[in-house]
Amino acid sequence: MRAAFSESLVRLAKADPNVLLLTGDHGYALFDDFRKSCPAQYINAGIAEQNMVGMAAGLARAGFRPFVYGLSAFIPVRVVEQIKLDVAHDNLPVIFIGDGAGFVYSHLGTSHQSTEDIACTRAIPNLAVYSPADRFEVSACMDAAYQSKSAVYFRMGKSDRGDVHDEIPKAKIGELLKVKSGLQGDITFIATGSLARTTLDIASDVYPDATVWSAPFIKPIDSQQVMSICKQSRVVVVFEEHSVLGGLGSVIAEIASEFAPVRILRIGVRDRFSHCCGTYDYLLKEHGLDRAAIEQRIHNFLAGI
Amino acid sequence: MSSQIKAFDAKVLRKTILDMAYTGSTVHIGCAFSIIELLAVLYRNHLRYPGGDPLASGRDYLVLSKGHGVMAQYACMRELGWLDDNHVAGYFSDGSDLKGLSDSRIPGLEVTSGSLGHGFSVGVGLAMGAKLRGTDQKVYALVGDGEINEGPIWEGALFAAHHNLKNFMVIVDENGYQAMGSTQEVLNLGSIQAKFESFGFEAMTVDGHDEVAIDGAINHLWGSNTDSPKALIAKTVKGKGVPFMENNNRWHYTRLDPETYAQAVSAIAGDGQ
Repeated sequence: MRAAFSESLVRLAKADPNVLLLTGDHGYALFDDFRKSCPAQYINAGIAEQNMVGMAAGLARAGFRPFVYGLSAFIPVRVVEQIKLDVAHDNLPVIFIGDGAGFVYSHLGTSHQSTEDIACTRAIPNLAVYSPADRFEVSACMDAAYQSKSAVYFRMGKSDRGDVHDEIPKAKIGELLKVKSGLQGDITFIATGSLARTTLDIASDVYPDATVWSAPFIKPIDSQQVMSICKQSRVVVVFEEHSVLGGLGSVIAEIASEFAPVRILRIGVRDRFSHCCGTYDYLLKEHGLDRAAIEQRIHNFLAGI
Repeated sequence: MSSQIKAFDAKVLRKTILDMAYTGSTVHIGCAFSIIELLAVLYRNHLRYPGGDPLASGRDYLVLSKGHGVMAQYACMRELGWLDDNHVAGYFSDGSDLKGLSDSRIPGLEVTSGSLGHGFSVGVGLAMGAKLRGTDQKVYALVGDGEINEGPIWEGALFAAHHNLKNFMVIVDENGYQAMGSTQEVLNLGSIQAKFESFGFEAMTVDGHDEVAIDGAINHLWGSNTDSPKALIAKTVKGKGVPFMENNNRWHYTRLDPETYAQAVSAIAGDGQ
């Protein structure tokens, strides 16, 4: 997934000399190719994220196409105001890459974990929010972000969970992508980012009649498509490695409640910080986001309907 | 800036601000008055707008990071013909464009500011962009002394010096006051010139109401043969030009009534500067 990101970035930068990469002193090995291929387009802004985002706004005003890279705990969360005022307000084409979203830095604790970044960004006008699930969606989303010529927050989470597509999907911005067909009128799973692969596995093994969608675009999202999905579903379950407050689950529930009411279970982080540290899988378990816990929650939810 | 347009007379500029502030019943008069001479010199002698177009590509950039002083910039933009009398007469009326803080959707205003510590970094980015493109554009970032409490200013200062952004000049409006009191009482800044020098800037301090001195200092800094970014520290008086406003922080917040408006207009008309 990170390799796909690096490949996309190098490809875009080689094709367009206005593409610049700004990093807040992060991405040590990740940018080896970029630094080798496009050294003049690489700016390490130092450990100074607020200034980096303001500068990116200035560079965008001067006609450049900045990609601003950081860990998602910092880009966007630390710099929400700079994104809002310096970039989004004036609709400047700056792309923010938030790497390591969710619990990737499972041993490091809350400072490096990020489960509120979607909620922080999606209420900002002019700012799109992308959350690719695998390397194929990363490539598609990088191209979409560049071509959109507007501000995008690009969320990258755990990268080794496996693919949900066989090839780069031809995705229109806002579109949900079907990754498994099911029985119309039955249960529907909608997932984003790192949990998409787990969702697909649960559906394949436990709910063979379930339809599974991946949502690489949190905002904008095709609300007509979401309405149609909700209307054709007995129940909807939404999966994300993000707070249940303000993330994809909220997006789906907001649209459904207004236009296509359906019972919705939101699987995500339940408004809590991590208590302990450990492996990524350990931390998912602590938050009830491991496969067994998710299956149990779905089971209980369906039993209660 | 071609000199035949208008003279950016300080009295005229202050009168425009008083008219706007009175019409719109607005605050932030004092922090607009402290930067009048700075803006007058910049617009008259330094800022280059090809074709007189506020959006011309290749223009110099004046970034008003201290967005609270925006009425001073409006007054200059009126001199340039970018704003007209209706903007003054309709200031703050429902549905009007000109806000109480800088908004870059108005041609002539380069950044959306007012939240402090933003415009400086945007200006650094503009200067970096000009350097990467190899243009001779210059960038001026006008910040308040209170504003430099903000951390991103110093992040940007490190970056500007590290990357030898010799086309970048920060101008500090050192009027000695911020929202709740004097800068000395709130968060003592010490020597601003020494601080920027220690960050690698070439810095000068000047009387911010002496147009000849300001012009000379700007020319001196641009004339330097080093690659350093520049810092011009302008010692100013908040509320300059109206004695009952000068060094009186109440005029950061107070609105004019008919009596104070008349007194202020008369004070400016009689002011010999």
